[in-house]
Amino acid sequence: MKLSCIIVEDIQIAADFLRKFCEKSDLVEVKGHFLNVADALDFLDRERVDLLFLDVEMPGANGFDLLDRLTYSPMIILTTSKTEYAFNAFQYHVNDYLKKPFTYKRFVEAIDKLQQQSAEAAPAQPASAAPPADTEFLFIKADDKLIKVRKDDILFLESMRDYVKFVTPAKNYVTYSTLKNMEEKLNGQTFLKVHRSYIVNLSKIDDIRGNTIYILGNQIPIGKGHKEDLEARLNIL
Amino acid sequence: MQKIRPPFVFDENLNSSFLEELFEGDTKYAEAVFEDFLKDLPVYWDRVETAYHNRNLPILGTSVHTCKTLFGYVGFTDLQELCQQFENKCSVNSPEELRVDYILLIQRKERAQHVIEKEFARLRLFNGETD
Repeated sequence: MKLSCIIVEDIQIAADFLRKFCEKSDLVEVKGHFLNVADALDFLDRERVDLLFLDVEMPGANGFDLLDRLTYSPMIILTTSKTEYAFNAFQYHVNDYLKKPFTYKRFVEAIDKLQQQSAEAAPAQPASAAPPADTEFLFIKADDKLIKVRKDDILFLESMRDYVKFVTPAKNYVTYSTLKNMEEKLNGQTFLKVHRSYIVNLSKIDDIRGNTIYILGNQIPIGKGHKEDLEARLNIL
Repeated sequence: MQKIRPPFVFDENLNSSFLEELFEGDTKYAEAVFEDFLKDLPVYWDRVETAYHNRNLPILGTSVHTCKTLFGYVGFTDLQELCQQFENKCSVNSPEELRVDYILLIQRKERAQHVIEKEFARLRLFNGETD
């Protein structure tokens, strides 16, 4: 199945190359090209895509500002001519990084890698194997075993690129998965995604100051695009 | 009998092996890109000049960064390096300290533009003969 994508890029030649590569590969469908972050966010508020090709340096807001404001987690490929963003890219859990100008060969490598990542992160499961939504426990695959954890013990989940860290008062567990996958599994319960890299257990929040949630001494940032959802889920008197 | 034409060979000032990989023999697309470059560069360079004259170094750095990317698509990898150095200096130097580098950058940009104008004309001729 083709991945849907948008291109956020202020240099027309670069965007044209990318569009041409997408068409040639027949693996990616381009839903739109935006010259700046504001227009891209406007589109992303209305439509969801699987993948963003995102330039970093653009007039006005930059690519990382867009990631801060995103309310969901598509796959991200940064397209930039500066290698200095590698550390930020890691922090923002981007899937790949294409240094401009890049060739078709490099483009295909990046798409292959994405498809591999998404296949590994979401293995197919028979419907009968899915746990009931209200199960009090869940099993985390870590350290070569399935570890039973009470959902109520989980303070928050943190994305670590291709892994997710479950933080409980007693111990942390790291499992090979994505936050997006976990968000779907924990949907509708007391868990809420509050940042591109964090899902929190709402019942564990001690307090909120500005754009930071405090849970048992841990500080969790609130993403700009998530604040409204969070406030709607809290019993604010 | 049909003659077999030799492939298009890019100018020696350009990174031809990279351009061959980038365009994969599609000289028509190369012609379009070189034409776009000649249209876009003056627009982006205007921003460089305005920022320099207004002593706005953050914008100067960003504008040179854009030109750097553009130079890459026509095979000026060495000029990209020069732009990168200039871009880095924008965050630590004053406009006075940047003056010599700025003049050098203008000279290199002028030369590059001239090479691309010639290369665009050659590509047009090559593609016209192919049609």
